[in-house]
Amino acid sequence: MVNDEILRTHLQELRRGTVVVASLVALRHPDYGYALLQRLTAYGFPVDANTLYPLLRRLEDQGLLTSEWNTEESRPRKFYRTSEAGEQMLRRLLDDLAAVQISLTALIEGAPR
Amino acid sequence: MTTTLTDRYLAATLRSVPTARREEIADELRASIADMIDGRTADGVDTVTAEREVLTELGNPAQLAARYRDRPLQLIGPQYYLAWRRLLILLVSTVPAAVGLLVGGIQATVSDNPGGAVGAGISTAFTVAVQTAFWVTLVFAVLERIGTPLDLPDWTVDQLPDEPVDRDVTRTDTCAAIVFLVLTIAALPWQHFQTVIDGDRLPILDPALWTSWLPVLLAVLVAGIGLEIAKYRAGRWTWPLVGVNAVLDLAFAVPASWLLLSGRLVNPDFVDRFAWLRDGGIDIVARVSAVVIVLITIWDVLDSAVKARRAAR
Repeated sequence: MVNDEILRTHLQELRRGTVVVASLVALRHPDYGYALLQRLTAYGFPVDANTLYPLLRRLEDQGLLTSEWNTEESRPRKFYRTSEAGEQMLRRLLDDLAAVQISLTALIEGAPR
Repeated sequence: MTTTLTDRYLAATLRSVPTARREEIADELRASIADMIDGRTADGVDTVTAEREVLTELGNPAQLAARYRDRPLQLIGPQYYLAWRRLLILLVSTVPAAVGLLVGGIQATVSDNPGGAVGAGISTAFTVAVQTAFWVTLVFAVLERIGTPLDLPDWTVDQLPDEPVDRDVTRTDTCAAIVFLVLTIAALPWQHFQTVIDGDRLPILDPALWTSWLPVLLAVLVAGIGLEIAKYRAGRWTWPLVGVNAVLDLAFAVPASWLLLSGRLVNPDFVDRFAWLRDGGIDIVARVSAVVIVLITIWDVLDSAVKARRAAR
């Protein structure tokens, strides 16, 4: 039986980088913080609010996201969208994620069990 | 307008966020919190409970602010830790002892109070150690925060220690330890016969002890030589050696400290010969010596246990 605490840390490590990839994919359609959080959770990327909100700002600072305030609705909200630079980096990240999956599959099939 | 929990949370978070971005982060965070509260009230939770839950979920404001600033939540991170530790060990193991010896030495030469000089040396060494540790740590903590690259040379295999890994106890260490023990053993009879003051032969230690405690202390010191040899043959500290070492340490430290503190160690005639010893100086010398003996004993036992534990891995 695997220790729950150890399992949790390894899963956390494994998931850490995927939040950035998932956010860049999801924000091809502009969205605001809380709605993005809900969308990511619904698609199986549970992420803490106190991780996601600062992360969005950081990605914006890095030029991977652009933002715009929407004041038309009852509450002014900041909408983020994946920038051109973000899209380019996203493609590299997705390629790498696919490469990891392919390598892992090959390793599983090639290794005797 | 009343201050809500959300207002207080925002104020606490924004306190340590750069001013230039404060307002925008505040607006966005306020909207996000309101969205999260709405999400919960839609599920039938009342507003007050929802607000508490949301702010609890967002967690400690200081931690959230640190994430916005992308600042480390540690004093010294992995980039600097090894350099910090190495410098700290190097400085703390050399500078305080050197400065303490210097100050103690100067005090001893300018004043007629060797006991006070020893005390001044020890307290100076302690102060210098605390100061050194503080300033080194402060400098590294500042480096960590401003993110200065250290540009240290990369580690190379040439830096590996020469000693083979299957031997923790080197011949040099063993020889040094045995020489020290032999000198200590020799010092006991030497002080009895060779201490000459104003033409009189005057033993430092109470001659009465030769028929009581001094043979015991000598036996412990001789056993110490045996322990050093056994340790060299084993090549490392083992738990039985740690046990024997602790017993020997105690067998020396307990009688020695007790004799010192109860005033039975030093020859009364020797004390009478010096004004500063007679006028309370002997008590200071005894107390300082006892403290040093206790500290060395504790350090020695801990050191042997740490090394045995490391060798057992």
